[in-house]
Amino acid sequence: MNRKKIVLAEDNSTLSLLLKFRLEKEGYELYMAVNGKEAVALIEEHTPDLILTDIMMPFISGLEVISHVRNKLELEIPIIVFSSAGQEEMVLKAFDLGANDFMGKPFSPNELVIRVKRQLS
Amino acid sequence: MIDFQMLIEYYGESPFLIKLAWITSLVLSVSIILLTVYLKFARTLLRKKEVDSLKFRAAYEALLIEYIYSGDEVSIISDNQKRIIDELKPQVLDRSKRKVIISVLYKLMNQVSGEVTDAVKILFKESGLINYALKKTQSKKWHVKAKGIGEFTRFKIESVQDEIKKHLTHPLREVRKEAHFYFVNLFHFEGLTFLDTIKTPLSEWDQIQMLEILQRFTNQEICDIKPWLKSSNDTVILFALKLAKVYNQYEVKDELMDLLSHKNKHIRIQVIEVLTHLYGIEAKDVLKANFTELSLEEQISFFGLLEKLVVPDDEPFVEKHLFHKDFEIQLLALKILKSINIDKYMGLSELPLHEKSPAMLKLTNTN
Repeated sequence: MNRKKIVLAEDNSTLSLLLKFRLEKEGYELYMAVNGKEAVALIEEHTPDLILTDIMMPFISGLEVISHVRNKLELEIPIIVFSSAGQEEMVLKAFDLGANDFMGKPFSPNELVIRVKRQLS
Repeated sequence: MIDFQMLIEYYGESPFLIKLAWITSLVLSVSIILLTVYLKFARTLLRKKEVDSLKFRAAYEALLIEYIYSGDEVSIISDNQKRIIDELKPQVLDRSKRKVIISVLYKLMNQVSGEVTDAVKILFKESGLINYALKKTQSKKWHVKAKGIGEFTRFKIESVQDEIKKHLTHPLREVRKEAHFYFVNLFHFEGLTFLDTIKTPLSEWDQIQMLEILQRFTNQEICDIKPWLKSSNDTVILFALKLAKVYNQYEVKDELMDLLSHKNKHIRIQVIEVLTHLYGIEAKDVLKANFTELSLEEQISFFGLLEKLVVPDDEPFVEKHLFHKDFEIQLLALKILKSINIDKYMGLSELPLHEKSPAMLKLTNTN
């Protein structure tokens, strides 16, 4: 069976690992990036079915990743952003740039799985 | 050999200051060499420590994820989870490894919620980390104590509440603050019972943080705040006023009315602001009657209340203060007059310049 590909951009290694484990359990193929730069490279290389990205990341932020996907690569891949408390304005910017959904930290990995499934259905 | 002898002779014949310069430069040179060697050694040691810590972090992260996802629905801790906990117990004894474990767990608790946090909480208890946190709260150093309480807050350990209760009245603000946050974070509004007895002040920043914590919870059913509005601790009253405003506590209007005559001016001002927010129309007549006895800040706050709750009957009072000595009150009075009697307000523009108040002049210039 052809597994759906997800690029996960998150600089917190424990959270990344946790989500990777959870999403792989659901049958998705995960590509991990620790910053926006790596995420962009992975997106260009694998053209995933969904992108999960944190807003605040080193080198290139989540917002720049969204902008790159929507404006430069012109891809309509669903994007879910993670944000922390106090980043409400950033979330609005992310939606303006073309994000499809967001999850405020702390979030439940189970809820993330539900949202991922909804975006990919 | 001859050169060396010449050097000794040269040194022996040199004046005192030259000798001193030579000795100083020699001492400094030796110190620099020793320090360089020491720094090189320390740097190598730190790098090695960092590499070890990164290796341990990576190994531990993988173990933690395995632990989180190896739970079953039959028991609280599955056999695999028990095995992982047993594997972790000896690591916890090592101070640097314990530090890594705590930092990873801390980060994870900040990022995820739900079932994962329950698993982490069990790990914190079963691995023995709870005992180290308890030891920290018993430390003589205040920052260690505060850190220990913070760990219990972060990992939501309710069983130590009696231990934390002891620190609610700690002489140091930082420790007290952590104890307050522990109770608010874990027991929400019920955790605020410490306000009944607290004698020490709550800083403005602490009050804001507590409100922020309370607003994070889904259950927003607030407890009775009336006793805190009658507290002998002024900062408790100020915090209760914030609660009354944020949670629209209309039922405490009588207590608020009583506070209008509180001895603390700051409280009186805050009460007027809360009453404005809660449409405390009853306060209007009381404040109007005592207007001249109020401080300037209270008078300004009262005009703020009037701006929101004005009725046509208030016109003579407002008109009386169009030429108040304070510019802000003049301006508010003009605004209020405009909202209740536009004709009279327009009529004021007919006044000759020398009869106009500074606020009227300002408005004329703006228009």
